[in-house]
Amino acid sequence: MVVSVSLALLMLSATDRPTTFRLAVWKWGAIVLLLYVFIAGWIVPLHPGIIQVNPGTASAGDTVTLEVKGYNTSFLRDTSQLSAWLRLSGDTVLKAGHIRVFDDRQLKARFYIPAAFPFRSEAYPLTLIVVNGADGASVLPNAIFASPAVRHQPEEMSLWTQHKLQGIQVKAGIQYPFRNILAETIRNTYFHVPMWFAMILLFGVSAFYSLHYYRKGDMDLDRKSVAFIKVGLIFGLLGLLTGMIWAKNTWNAYWSWDVKQNMSAIALLIYSALMVMRSSVEDDLQKARLTAGYNMFAFVLLIPLLFIIPRMTDSLHPGSGGNPAMGGEDLDHTMRLVFYPAVVGFILLGLWISQLVYRVDKLKGNTWS
Amino acid sequence: MNRIWNLIATEARIELRERYALTGILLYVLSASFIVFSIWRQLPPKEWGLTFWVIFLFCSLMAVLKTFGKESEGRYFYYYTLYHPLELFTAKVFYNLGLLLVIFFTLWLVLSVIAGNHFLRPGWFLVTGCMACIGLSFLLTFISSIAIKTQQNASLTAIMALPLMIPVLINILQLTAYGLGTTPDDNPWNEMMLLTSMISLVSGMALWLFPYLWRS
Repeated sequence: MVVSVSLALLMLSATDRPTTFRLAVWKWGAIVLLLYVFIAGWIVPLHPGIIQVNPGTASAGDTVTLEVKGYNTSFLRDTSQLSAWLRLSGDTVLKAGHIRVFDDRQLKARFYIPAAFPFRSEAYPLTLIVVNGADGASVLPNAIFASPAVRHQPEEMSLWTQHKLQGIQVKAGIQYPFRNILAETIRNTYFHVPMWFAMILLFGVSAFYSLHYYRKGDMDLDRKSVAFIKVGLIFGLLGLLTGMIWAKNTWNAYWSWDVKQNMSAIALLIYSALMVMRSSVEDDLQKARLTAGYNMFAFVLLIPLLFIIPRMTDSLHPGSGGNPAMGGEDLDHTMRLVFYPAVVGFILLGLWISQLVYRVDKLKGNTWS
Repeated sequence: MNRIWNLIATEARIELRERYALTGILLYVLSASFIVFSIWRQLPPKEWGLTFWVIFLFCSLMAVLKTFGKESEGRYFYYYTLYHPLELFTAKVFYNLGLLLVIFFTLWLVLSVIAGNHFLRPGWFLVTGCMACIGLSFLLTFISSIAIKTQQNASLTAIMALPLMIPVLINILQLTAYGLGTTPDDNPWNEMMLLTSMISLVSGMALWLFPYLWRS
């Protein structure tokens, strides 16, 4: 955004006739879309959620008092409908016997865990659901793990179905979903993912120009393909950096040798090698021809590298190892409203910068010859 | 085909005349495995596979690097008038394939002698190795034909070839793990299919682009 605005200002100040300054419609489109993405991406709040529950374990047949820490919640505002639930599965739920609210973010809920479970297991993961009038339902999956009772008491089985989970409403207004672990970093979806879309598209356009150069041998086409590679590399680098920051916050390390990280780093290495190769050839025609050949070769190999191999191995990254890529769970309708404009906006920005790079290269080339 | 065979034969004759070239490669294989083994002291199956391909990678780079380098400019002009670029390229690929196969079998022999042969399915490893040699000989010959046109050709071959080799190598490592029996994976056909398609992609692109890159 800063880049595009400063570029626009630069163009405005550089031109001798400010009155005739004009931008193509799609460039205005890019500016408007990215402004919208940056504003909506940062300002829209997250849905209330639960970040911490203490203790994390309980044993059946005991009363447990859970200290619940909310995020973006307002427990105090509407206490009339306040209720807390532990859910084993489906309609098998427990209702909190007593709830004490300390402030908007903290409450204590007391549960009795029955000494009988509907099925047999080593440990029973329970999902905590806190409902109140102001926030709707806040959910923390696997909030506590209950261990089986020492003495099995079948008569307590009915406690699981005594209450029906009800009165759950969604909080009104526009907000992004609260995901466990992701929390606020879910906003990075609007910046990290479009970088890769833009990079692939720019490299694709570059390979297309290389193909044209291969057919026609026009030096202008070579200049175009190189401009797109340069900008694609920058987008790839930004994608890698945003991904690393995201990984630090969710996977707890900037670099965890995940297959997706490795493959994208290799993709950037391949194109960096192309730039190194270009700088070590002196003859312009030779340089253009080798660039075209290597570029097409690299783009064809890029497809298995980025789209096939990561899907075949285990990975922390969404989109591989059985994780959904952009399934319904991670991208709800509110997020789509920002995500798709972000993709289009960043792609247009990439095309715009590439066009500028190409023009600068061309001007430089003209002064030399 | 006959003309290609002539080229390969010429290549081999030149190589054998300067005996240090071929023996140099073999010595490289031997000393590299010796160094690695004296560092590791023992090689369990998983490490065996990794070590094998690391040594193979550098040996193959060494061997193929000088494909186009050792001949004078003049000879290429001469070749250019006599042969179609594709014939020249095919000859070079076949010759390099031979070299890589020699390296592959020597390395297998050497590592088996000093560190034991851990294979549950040696047949699979043999097929994997042959596929790897085919793929890498296409890729490396193509890259070295690009690199020869630049000023620093030795370092550039490595810079350009290594990242491009990685997708192929990852697949080969998975198949090797299957051959060694160190993976729970029961169905290697997926990887085999991917490897085959990648190799055909690489060879197709190389064959398509080489005649164009060769003109100068």
